[in-house]
Amino acid sequence: MIDGPSSPTAGALSCAEAAEILWDYLDDELSPEREAAMRAHLAACRPCLHHQEFERAFLDAVARARSSDPAPTALRARVIDMLHAQGLMP
Amino acid sequence: MEAEPPPTPVSPEFSALTLDALNDVHRFAWSLARNAADADDLVQETYLRAFRSWRTFLPGSDIRRWLFTICRNVYLRAREREQRYAPLQDDEGETLQAVEQRAASLRQGMGVALLRLDLKPAVERALDALQEPFRSAVILVDLEDHSYDDASAILGVPVGTVRSRLFRGRRILQEQLMAFARDAGLPGARHD
Repeated sequence: MIDGPSSPTAGALSCAEAAEILWDYLDDELSPEREAAMRAHLAACRPCLHHQEFERAFLDAVARARSSDPAPTALRARVIDMLHAQGLMP
Repeated sequence: MEAEPPPTPVSPEFSALTLDALNDVHRFAWSLARNAADADDLVQETYLRAFRSWRTFLPGSDIRRWLFTICRNVYLRAREREQRYAPLQDDEGETLQAVEQRAASLRQGMGVALLRLDLKPAVERALDALQEPFRSAVILVDLEDHSYDDASAILGVPVGTVRSRLFRGRRILQEQLMAFARDAGLPGARHD
């Protein structure tokens, strides 16, 4: 966990600290206390809020590249046939 | 040399559990291989290895994580055999600070217009071009929605390494998207 001096104007985190833990925040990897500190900082700091919005939009765009297609039925059948042929499947 | 013992069939429970995860394994394989034929081969090889080594699976643990680990190992070995896999070192290139400084200027240049475009084709191309070890970290966390801990277990590296690979991988993707924006003639997307 990253600790450092607090900013009197934007919650308990400085902008540098907020930037350092931004990805962890967006990935839900912060402790509840650090997440609360980050939220407080973002509520008080417009540049950091814009930074956060940009990175979140970027991550959303990447996530949309995830395939939603199920495995083809033929592939499932091939896998099962192969496992039977190898004597590995009951 | 002694003859190999005949294979031991897995239990019906194990079989059902692993086959339930086939859609997830296929999606992960597709993300790694980026084409249907290679993804299908990867899935088949993953299941073959999983069923041959089913005793190494710890009952009650996460079957997807176990299968993803096998799948990624199969993928990397295949790429090594094809001699087209030259992973970057984690510490290769710029310092994280330098990358962050450049990212700030990218954000400025890219502007909100880029975020309003249909980026899926550009993101897919950028993922195609993204090299290991950053590629697997980005796929696991950003596409497969794994936690850093899960990604750490699948990749066999510390959480801090997952974090730095993600950081670098995402910055590389952003640079690719910036190039896409420039090609699309977006006014905010310029070299500064």
